[in-house]
Amino acid sequence: CLRALNGQPPAAPTPRVVEREEEEEDEELTLKYGAKHVIMLFVPVTLCMVVVVATIKSVSFYTQNDGQRLIYTPFPEDTDTVGQRALNSILNATIMITVIIVMTLVLVMLYKYRCYKVIQGWLFLSSLLLLFFFSYIYLKEVFKTYNLAMDYITLAIIIWNFGVVGMMCIHWKGPLRLQQAYLIMISALMALVFIKYLPEWTAWLILAVISVYDLLAVLCPKGPLRILVETAQERNEPIFPALIYSSTMVWLVNMADTDRPNRNSTEAASPQQEPQEVASPVPSSPSQDDGGFTQSWVSQQEHRLGPLQSTEETRREIQQMPSARPPVEEDDEERGVKLGLGDFIFYSMLVGKASATASGDWNTTLACFVAILIGLCLTLLLLAIFKKALPALPISIFFGLVFYFATDNLVRPFMDKLALHQFYI
Amino acid sequence: MNLERLPNEEKLSLCRKYYLVPLAVSGFAFLPFLWLVNVVWFFREAFLKPSYTEQLQIKAYVKRSALGLLLWVAVLTTWITIYQHFRAEWGEVGDYLSFTIPLGIP
Repeated sequence: CLRALNGQPPAAPTPRVVEREEEEEDEELTLKYGAKHVIMLFVPVTLCMVVVVATIKSVSFYTQNDGQRLIYTPFPEDTDTVGQRALNSILNATIMITVIIVMTLVLVMLYKYRCYKVIQGWLFLSSLLLLFFFSYIYLKEVFKTYNLAMDYITLAIIIWNFGVVGMMCIHWKGPLRLQQAYLIMISALMALVFIKYLPEWTAWLILAVISVYDLLAVLCPKGPLRILVETAQERNEPIFPALIYSSTMVWLVNMADTDRPNRNSTEAASPQQEPQEVASPVPSSPSQDDGGFTQSWVSQQEHRLGPLQSTEETRREIQQMPSARPPVEEDDEERGVKLGLGDFIFYSMLVGKASATASGDWNTTLACFVAILIGLCLTLLLLAIFKKALPALPISIFFGLVFYFATDNLVRPFMDKLALHQFYI
Repeated sequence: MNLERLPNEEKLSLCRKYYLVPLAVSGFAFLPFLWLVNVVWFFREAFLKPSYTEQLQIKAYVKRSALGLLLWVAVLTTWITIYQHFRAEWGEVGDYLSFTIPLGIP
């Protein structure tokens, strides 16, 4: 039975009937909250994907193969034989994953040894680069596509405004909606960069391997992400708030595993960061950084276009508002769900890649989109059941990949044949 | 950031900061967007809520932000109109100013 929302175990001497009723009610409440959270996450994930797909369809820059590659994927994919191509893509994926693992470990080490300043600085620089440089490139390509003239002065003002307000919203205080919008925008930008610079087979392989890594890193007892979560819980700190998208601002800080929630309702006002509800409560987290990808960013900064990087670290943690808290004085809206920005990025990357390279075009894109949403629902359901940090990638990416390959190779030719023979089912 | 949960003094301080940052940076900071955010975010607080002590100051800041915003919008609109209209005629200077140049003949 689900312990669900009340942190307290049902009182022992109550008659069984009442107990059962309580349990049922608890279950219902949990599922109800679960459903609400699912909807709260659908909207941003959908928006991000819509932005990515719209850009891919309209701005051809992101699907052109300029021959440029990331330094992390040095092996080209336009080779003579299929075997060579497969080998190259496997090598590329291995390099990427190694980089990601290393970055994750570095981050966890930094966190464990309390080098908060380093982490903060890193994330700050990353978000800076992302907000200014990538949006500059994005705007340039959009203007080129629509054949509009733009002068440097107006452009400078636009980029400057966008960047500064973005930095303020993400790293400091700002309206919640605006902050969510910025996080969605930077996830979309990052996903677009990935789509452009990763060759096809490498991209799919990377998606698959990252899901597996995610699963291992979050669930295995020695996994780096799990260590991260547990350390944060021990220290009662939120986990890198800015790298995580939170659907509501939480003003109640709570501890999931300790018995009585410390509600800091008013003092929660002070933490400027988003007191997101994290399984480990807490007020101001040392760093408000933005999307996990930023970490990856930094490493890439030195290299060309550095995209990529493991957004792994923090990303991936879906933390539900501690359901151990008694639902008492807070309103339901206070609880939200948090989803790491890396998850946004990889979901959008999957759908974007599907729309860019699939022969089935909209069929495939829609199929992948639906698959990802289903995966997200399932993950959130599991979250409601298990109530601890769960990896958000594996189920969705798995479904997404299956649907992509199946639709592309099976459904589309089937539909074409049917249309050819004017046979409607 | 949910405004309702903040105590009034903090709301005032936030509104003030959002108003001052664009002015602080280089005196005339080219950040109309920040003023826009200030106006939109604090509009309800300043005008549609029953009054409280700090509300008067918040109103002042919102009004000033709105003023600054209008000024900037006017300046930008004028510049953009001038630029788009005369770009082709300016020859070299026009190209130098341009970030993207449309192809084809208008």
